[in-house]
Amino acid sequence: MSEVRIAAEPRTEFGKGAARRTRRAGKVPAVLYGHGTAPQHITLPGHDLMLALKTPNVLLRVQGLADGDALALPKDVQRDPIKGFLEHVDLLLVKRGEKVTVEIPVNAVGDVVAGGRLEQPVIQLAVEAEATHIPEAVEVDITGLEVGASLLAGDLKLPSGADLAADADTLILQIVDATVATGEVAEAETAEAAEGAEPAAEAGEGTSAE
Amino acid sequence: MLIPRKVKHRKQHHPKRRGMAKGGTKVTFGEFGIQAVEGAYVTNRQIEAARIAMTRHIKRGGKVWINIFPDRPLTKKPAETRMGSGKGSPEWWIANVKPGRVMFEISYPNEAIAREALTRAIHKLPMKCKIVKREVGES
Repeated sequence: MSEVRIAAEPRTEFGKGAARRTRRAGKVPAVLYGHGTAPQHITLPGHDLMLALKTPNVLLRVQGLADGDALALPKDVQRDPIKGFLEHVDLLLVKRGEKVTVEIPVNAVGDVVAGGRLEQPVIQLAVEAEATHIPEAVEVDITGLEVGASLLAGDLKLPSGADLAADADTLILQIVDATVATGEVAEAETAEAAEGAEPAAEAGEGTSAE
Repeated sequence: MLIPRKVKHRKQHHPKRRGMAKGGTKVTFGEFGIQAVEGAYVTNRQIEAARIAMTRHIKRGGKVWINIFPDRPLTKKPAETRMGSGKGSPEWWIANVKPGRVMFEISYPNEAIAREALTRAIHKLPMKCKIVKREVGES
């Protein structure tokens, strides 16, 4: 994975007022830490950072620091829950050749068998890889998987240079029967069947709540 | 309908309406979700109506998750009653939903049908909402 260069400016004023001024200027407050060093508070250009973070686990070359450039990975990204714009970013210092544990996307490719439905409870998988060679994603071919078949983390063929950091027994995906109602839908059908009895049950529960 | 099995206090103060959702702002279980754009009290009847609207539209072959629970009672005084004489009796059970909260999630193979099911559910809810999609690999 290639690295993305991003220009940082040191941050001298702190608190929500200063952070809001920074955001209004189109920048994002960030903190850079790792390897036992003191945290460095910096400001990053908002648009460039937003574009860079579209790639999962992007390797950033942070320029303009007091002690030269530094390689970093995004550790935590805080976004506005509705608008989605960046509010703050935590960056983790890494070195070339260092192994890091990161979460990479699991992409299912291929078509589900007729009468089946793909259920994928895990969309990101923890792997250990070299910081400068983090794979972009794990591709899982689901063509030919029968109804009832499942894939565990241990069954996946990981990209070269990546080792599994999660439990090998973690269920990644399964093909379930599309014609059988599951979970909430099943509950819904039973609830609809018992709709007549509902008010009585409700009254009973209401008194138990008292 | 969703209702707490037991509560510590039968009558509570009104929950706070200000602020944004602190968590539960992303789609985690299904592929699509309903995100609140405004804050509101969502009653258990509204949750049930939204769930029924979704499940009846998708029929079989999908799954629905409800991420909110109506754990707060709201009271009401009877009509034509003079003020005083204590707090009214519990009337509704509500979930205090803040902006940004993903309330319902759905997993269904056909995106158009899943979106239509969520739109029908949104019509049953008391606030402005939007449909959000699970984003893979986003930092």
